[in-house]
Amino acid sequence: MQSLLPLAAAVASTSGSSTARTLPLLAQQLGQRWYHKNVVEHYERPRNVGSFDKSDPDVGTGLVGAPACGDVMKLQIKVDEAGNIVDARFKTFGCGSAIASSSVATEWVKGKSLDEVLKIKNSDIAKHLSLPPVKLHCSMLAEDAIKAAVKDIKAKRAQA
Amino acid sequence: MTVMQPYSTTLDEGQYHQVADHVMEDMHEKLEAYVEENDVDGGDVEYSQGVLTVKLGKQGTFVVNKQTPNRQIWLSSPVSGPFRFDYSDGRWLYHRDRRDLVKLLEAEISQLVGSPLKLE
Repeated sequence: MQSLLPLAAAVASTSGSSTARTLPLLAQQLGQRWYHKNVVEHYERPRNVGSFDKSDPDVGTGLVGAPACGDVMKLQIKVDEAGNIVDARFKTFGCGSAIASSSVATEWVKGKSLDEVLKIKNSDIAKHLSLPPVKLHCSMLAEDAIKAAVKDIKAKRAQA
Repeated sequence: MTVMQPYSTTLDEGQYHQVADHVMEDMHEKLEAYVEENDVDGGDVEYSQGVLTVKLGKQGTFVVNKQTPNRQIWLSSPVSGPFRFDYSDGRWLYHRDRRDLVKLLEAEISQLVGSPLKLE
């Protein structure tokens, strides 16, 4: 699967539409898995990679996963006084699907309220990225990361 | 009032493999027979490297896998999504609502294929 990723990226960026359609079919016939173009896009050009200052009172941090499992996601949100998320950052250690899931999560939380983002479901992320069955766990982790970040900022503000 | 059983956090790796392998191998055997008996269109059951893949053609694919570092069994269901199950007193349970891995598979697969599946 790893060796297919550069190929996928090359196909996505350089070839005409007919090649892009037949290659996935060929890959399927060979029994290989194919990353959906949305996943490749987020992998090649991830959005919002980085960190905020964890001790900033306007920052909520969600850290989920475990190195032993091969997946760790840190998702951070910057929240204004009205409870709206004005910015987001992520850092993820894991597979292409995990990276893409958390990248999508940071895109989707921006401009929404804390309560609104709690409605973001792993199934929406999985559908957007056309994740195969075994990678649904990655989108679930991204949903957990959002919830953890919201929980963190709410706890901070409750203490303030 | 129901008393919640504590989830097993004290399974060592050897014990984990013993209980996990037992349920995985058992499910593999029964599912392989079930898919064949019911002649499921596009049906295929494969178990390798701790990963059990149950293809049900257009109905979707279930993936059940051992997750050794967490002492868990993970499930991806085309019906209800991803879950992580912990070992508790002979059962594999999802901590949030105590749903049972084996019962879930029986219910969902029976529903999709239209024929009762008995895994135990």
